[in-house]
Amino acid sequence: MALVSARAIFSPVLRLTVKQIIGNRQLTKYRHGRLCARLLLPTVTAQRFYAEKKVFLRDKPHCNVGTIGHVDHGKTTLTAAITKVLAEKEMATAKAYNEIDNAPEEKARGITINVAHIEYQTENRHYSHTDCPGHADYIKNMITGTSQMDGAILVVAATDGAMPQTREHLLLAKQIGINYIVIFINKVDAADEEMVELVEMEIRELMTEMGYDGENAPIIKGSALCALEGKKPEIGSESITKLLEEVDRYIPTPVRDLDKPFLLPVEQTYSIPGRGTVVTGRLERGVLKKGNECELVGYGKVLKTVVTGVEMFRQILEEAQAGDQLGALIRGVKRDDVRRGMILAKPGTVKAQDQVEAQIYVLSKEEGGRAKPVLNFMQLQMFSKTWDCATQVQILEKDMVMPGEDTKLLLKLFKPMVCEQGQRFTIRDGIVTLGTGVITKILPPLNETERLALTEGKKAREKKLAKAN
Amino acid sequence: MLASKLCRFIHTNNSVWQATQKTVLSELRKKTGYTFANCRKALQLHGNDLQKAEQWLTEQAQQLGWMKATKLEGRATGQGLIAVSVRDKHAVLVEVNCETDFVARNKYFQGLVTTVASATMKFASNSVSGTDLVNKVSLDSETLKELPAPDGKTLADHSALIIGSVGENLSLRRALCVSVNDDILITGLSHPVPASPSATLLGKYAAIVAYRAPPKSEQLGKRLCQHIIGMNPAKIGEKGVDEPNPVLDDETTMIYQEYLLDPNITVEQLLTDNQAQVIDFARFETGETLATEKQPLEAVETCG
Repeated sequence: MALVSARAIFSPVLRLTVKQIIGNRQLTKYRHGRLCARLLLPTVTAQRFYAEKKVFLRDKPHCNVGTIGHVDHGKTTLTAAITKVLAEKEMATAKAYNEIDNAPEEKARGITINVAHIEYQTENRHYSHTDCPGHADYIKNMITGTSQMDGAILVVAATDGAMPQTREHLLLAKQIGINYIVIFINKVDAADEEMVELVEMEIRELMTEMGYDGENAPIIKGSALCALEGKKPEIGSESITKLLEEVDRYIPTPVRDLDKPFLLPVEQTYSIPGRGTVVTGRLERGVLKKGNECELVGYGKVLKTVVTGVEMFRQILEEAQAGDQLGALIRGVKRDDVRRGMILAKPGTVKAQDQVEAQIYVLSKEEGGRAKPVLNFMQLQMFSKTWDCATQVQILEKDMVMPGEDTKLLLKLFKPMVCEQGQRFTIRDGIVTLGTGVITKILPPLNETERLALTEGKKAREKKLAKAN
Repeated sequence: MLASKLCRFIHTNNSVWQATQKTVLSELRKKTGYTFANCRKALQLHGNDLQKAEQWLTEQAQQLGWMKATKLEGRATGQGLIAVSVRDKHAVLVEVNCETDFVARNKYFQGLVTTVASATMKFASNSVSGTDLVNKVSLDSETLKELPAPDGKTLADHSALIIGSVGENLSLRRALCVSVNDDILITGLSHPVPASPSATLLGKYAAIVAYRAPPKSEQLGKRLCQHIIGMNPAKIGEKGVDEPNPVLDDETTMIYQEYLLDPNITVEQLLTDNQAQVIDFARFETGETLATEKQPLEAVETCG
């Protein structure tokens, strides 16, 4: 019985009839709806195509700043206040306190960094403003280069003064290479004048102790909350304006890549009969012209030569600028002498190094790294610019590096390659990317015994250690 | 600069007749480290009498800490430190959490974690015993708070004091006490290993291992701990009962894992070579989600 009724329900012919009977009425509606949609559709699609997207105006130099300070001292409130004050001058979009949050899409992209990015501009400069909650987040930020900070705003509440961990905040700033710090003493509306003065004294002292120029560091006193609520302009919005003036004045504009001496990592080499050798690549910085003297550095070689022609897409370039993908004809160098990974640069500006100190972030398994920690004396492949080179790592200050941790490393390259302070690299083991890092210090080159020691095994190393003891 | 320093020097020394109110305030702040707002309040209450104010502040610190602690309660604490401490036949693992890793690097906070570890150690040596080879007792947050610290106050009081001074929510999350009998050895290690060696090791990860081995093999214990921290095994495993995982990198049974410090051999090989046997182990990682609890979505940290 049940089978029969089920069959009746699922029989396609029957189902269709039933549908038609029930659906007849809706059908007309349906048609009507579709018609409407068709009428509306063109306008809808037209709106979706980049209609209101603003074009970024590059008329001011760019500068990266960030806020550091204790969680309750009002970093986010200050950031919100800055956007509000500047929005009145139409130089920023006002963001409410709760709008400034770590963007969820950041988490979806490879390395997860809890970070908020805000943009605004003053009369003189365009700013990108970073705000991170933790030490590890700032370190990751520095290493991966998501936004290198040129300067920082240290926020201290006048009611609390410097917290025990303010020392750690300044230590971090030192570590990630921030040399310019502007101090904002917040919440002066809740404190009396004397307290504010003492906080100022204390902060100057602490800054000096941590190796900053505490005596001359600009200190602005105000209340971000007042600015945000539009109360008491003398300690509210005016203090924010003053803070931005100081940031404009005190933090220097970073040197643009275009103004630096030229540098071209070689991607490919070609030999053109009758003309000579051509190296191609993306000009990383500076301006390259025909007739420029240059050096090719890498794999233990330094070749001096002259650029006799610069071309892009088979057209002659008068001068190539940073960012251009180009081919450079070089005089008197055989194709076999040049290899991918060498660097073509202005003579004397770059040098091959084989021992560097670096700060590195080791990817966690979720981020595509491996589950196992990195150990001392591991031999890994280091990738930077267009070159890659076998490298021995020595971990400083720790026994091993767990995935998701950052640490200081000593890198010994098997062959001298071009390394500069601030240069970024990736280290890989076989097919797995282990981590990414930034070179923090160039160390003196390896001598012959050290170089030989690179290739010896663990047993030999232990034997030597036992002998030394 | 020198002049200003000299000036301050004179002031602090002759405060009885020379000092203005300002130096009293700054002196009190310097001496006690309490917030400016509280120092000011203390001075106002006691007519700028430095000693009375200081006394009042010390008395109030506990209460103020509690007030702050209540205020900050509920804020997520995802960072922190693990402490591991070993004494004779007892070992403890302790996790204390805070909001940012800046605080985790601070010596006040580290002092608190050490206090918690030593209180737990005292509890372990007094009340954790049994006839088994290895006896384990784990303490949850509530029990931990009630434990008395060496100075008689509860750990909750100590934690409130630190909350008052660093201004961040802290939580005593969990602890594990392990005691062993007979000839079983017990060793603990933290990662990263602190620069200055002390009885209590603090780090982001820590492990303890109970094992049987010939005398003078402390190094083996340390290395086993390092292996446990690095390779995160799920269980020790027994030959013949547990099957090795076909993918070596996904191996979670300790004896089949490749040995961290020498990938050419397995842990089993290492143990055989050293005539050792692992009886039990434990591993703590800061902020790891426990099997017994679920991480709420709001716990994901944000900028403040």
